[in-house]
Amino acid sequence: MPPSLAEAVHPAEAPAVTRAPRRRPTTARRGEGLAGYVFLSPWLLGFLGITAIPMLFSLVLSFTDYELLDSWSDVKFVGFANYHKMFTADPHYWHSVGVTVRYALIAVPLKLAAALGVALLLRRDRRGNGTFRSLFYLPSLLGGSVALSLVWLAMFSRDGAFNAFLRLFGIEGKPWANDPDWALATLILLAVWQFGAPMVIFLAGLKQIPNEYYEAASVDGASRWRKFWHITMPMLSPVLFFNLVLEVIHGFQGFTGAFVLSGGTGGPVDSTLMYTLNLYLAGFTDFKMAYASAMAWVFLAVLGVLTAAIFSTGRFWVHYADGEEN
Amino acid sequence: MPNTAPLAPGGSPLDHVTASRRTLLRGLGAAALLGSAGVSLAACGDDKPSADPNAPVELSIFWWGGDARAKSTDAALALYTKAHPNVTFKKTWQANAGYYDKLATLTAGGNAPDIFQIDDGALSEYAERHQTLDLSAYKDSKKIDVSKFPPSLVQYGVVDGAFAGVPTGENTPGMIYDETAITALGLAVPTTGMSWEDLITWAEQVTTKSGGKLYGTMDPSADYKALWIWLRQQGKQLYDGKKLGCTADDVAKWFDLWKGARDRKAAPPADIIHTANAGDVTKQLVVTGKAATSFLWANQVTELAKATKNKLGVVAYPGDPSAQWARAAMYLSIYKGTKHADTAADVINFLVNSPDVGKLWGTDRGLSANTDVRAAVVPGLSDANAKASSDFETQLASKFGTAPAVPPKGHVKVRSLLITYAENVQYAKATSAAAADQFVNEANAAIAG
Repeated sequence: MPPSLAEAVHPAEAPAVTRAPRRRPTTARRGEGLAGYVFLSPWLLGFLGITAIPMLFSLVLSFTDYELLDSWSDVKFVGFANYHKMFTADPHYWHSVGVTVRYALIAVPLKLAAALGVALLLRRDRRGNGTFRSLFYLPSLLGGSVALSLVWLAMFSRDGAFNAFLRLFGIEGKPWANDPDWALATLILLAVWQFGAPMVIFLAGLKQIPNEYYEAASVDGASRWRKFWHITMPMLSPVLFFNLVLEVIHGFQGFTGAFVLSGGTGGPVDSTLMYTLNLYLAGFTDFKMAYASAMAWVFLAVLGVLTAAIFSTGRFWVHYADGEEN
Repeated sequence: MPNTAPLAPGGSPLDHVTASRRTLLRGLGAAALLGSAGVSLAACGDDKPSADPNAPVELSIFWWGGDARAKSTDAALALYTKAHPNVTFKKTWQANAGYYDKLATLTAGGNAPDIFQIDDGALSEYAERHQTLDLSAYKDSKKIDVSKFPPSLVQYGVVDGAFAGVPTGENTPGMIYDETAITALGLAVPTTGMSWEDLITWAEQVTTKSGGKLYGTMDPSADYKALWIWLRQQGKQLYDGKKLGCTADDVAKWFDLWKGARDRKAAPPADIIHTANAGDVTKQLVVTGKAATSFLWANQVTELAKATKNKLGVVAYPGDPSAQWARAAMYLSIYKGTKHADTAADVINFLVNSPDVGKLWGTDRGLSANTDVRAAVVPGLSDANAKASSDFETQLASKFGTAPAVPPKGHVKVRSLLITYAENVQYAKATSAAAADQFVNEANAAIAG
């Protein structure tokens, strides 16, 4: 049982409870615990009704042949047939896996590097740095928005602003967003540009590093590079770890940009057919909801394993300042 | 600490808070109980089918479209309510994008609207899964009167023997061209009946004379309408029951025809074609100024004209125009689970047969399906483009061939597969033969499964 809300809010009451006879506290505590759940209920009902139960339902669906408009009486259990088809008989599925892995493998490190780099530049409290921090964060506020993706599409099309810029240098650009060889790169750039959220977290982490360490290192004659590598990086590693986990999950879930840039098709020539977009198309264009559910569960399992893998590497490179290992 | 709250004198303020919280909780609990009771009572009230013809009925109705359509639909429904004050409408409408996602989700949840707008891309999906009410009985009893409709148009609303959708209007594919730009180059405009080869040769001249600024024609190899008409001109069909009516060889020839056109610069490069392939009206090359023609529906010329200053014209797709047919521009269908089927049928009957509604709607939902209404509406059309497209359809009507069956379940998937594989050829990622092969295999699987 989680600690009751009343305890958390009113620590003052706790001594009174411990001094009271033994029978009273249990009933009182039970009442308080109930009250806690009642207060939690708006979230709890939402979680159960909108997230947990539909999720479990989709697990059941993934073993059936349900299509979106079928009546329930026609639905049959088909065992692992959806999973079997996914792994052995659907070339578009593996193609979308490839697109997503390429996207995440390139976008996540670049985004984290950009976030860390800019955070290092903006860590000192110089004049105007507050403004810069806000400006660099701005793209993240617009993050995942449809309007932004449309602007991106306009900028990186044949007659877009980017090619106009290249023409100043006599370079004839490509129709980036509409070229199957470059469309994914355009999407990656869009993701990297929105580095504001991890940047803010990096900034907070940098502020936590005591200045004495740097002063001591300066006295010992350490170069900037050594200071970065031996003070900043170890001290920042818990924050880096946090950002890495978040961005990897985020990266694999990329949807809006691909959806808008391709007009909801994953084109040109399936070059932006991200996993989540493929899943959406399976469910809503092909109406194959059972198959889409199976895809979603494989996705969840893979992301879970991936996150666990990142966690297990943590003890080799994440240092907690309080000396507590793991 | 900046926020030091003053303590109440004589006793902890916390006790007070705890007490009032308990009262609050009791109150909340009671309110929640009352609330749920209220909801279930209200739900009971709706469920009762009423025998009284004057009992109040609220029908939900859902359509896609823009502001203009919303206005004319509101007005038409208001006319019905005026005649039947007990019937009111819960109207929902939205843009085309995302319409079918929402309709599918509502239907899957058993909450589909009583009346919804649908087109031939989706009619079979809903009808074959028994989500639309079979309106045959209403048709036979003339409660939905289609006696003034062209018979082929009525037939185009029948899926597996069930009358699944009532056509609101008629349209047919049309090749829309930029008259201003073409005459400025000193060339003749395209005509109905010119062959595909003629079109490509003519388009090559447009490209040359404009110095490459304006390509002669859109490459419609990803357009299922164009492929379908081209196949019909050779005595084939896109669909033959629940499989494709053509072979991979046919499709490869189609892809090759347009590869030739691109090689001769009659059609633009792949990325420009791609921007128009998704079907967005504002991105069609004839209005973005990239090409002199676009392949769409004839009635869309009205909408396209709003996006360009140039004068537009419309002719049939190239080749023998008898390959074209009177297609239902869209249908109104009734949800199987409706509680007010009779009223909904009466509303549809009113919308498709009332001359007043015909005047309000113009050609927005296609050329009126009821030919009497059409005859009354067409002379009064004020919009020059609407007039041009209805004139075109009236002229073409005598040449129309027999309508094929409504496209089968899986048609939407087939349309997107054709775009994917046509683009594979356009971007030179696959040969015509290989792309056609994959298209035919996957399309057949999509229709069968």
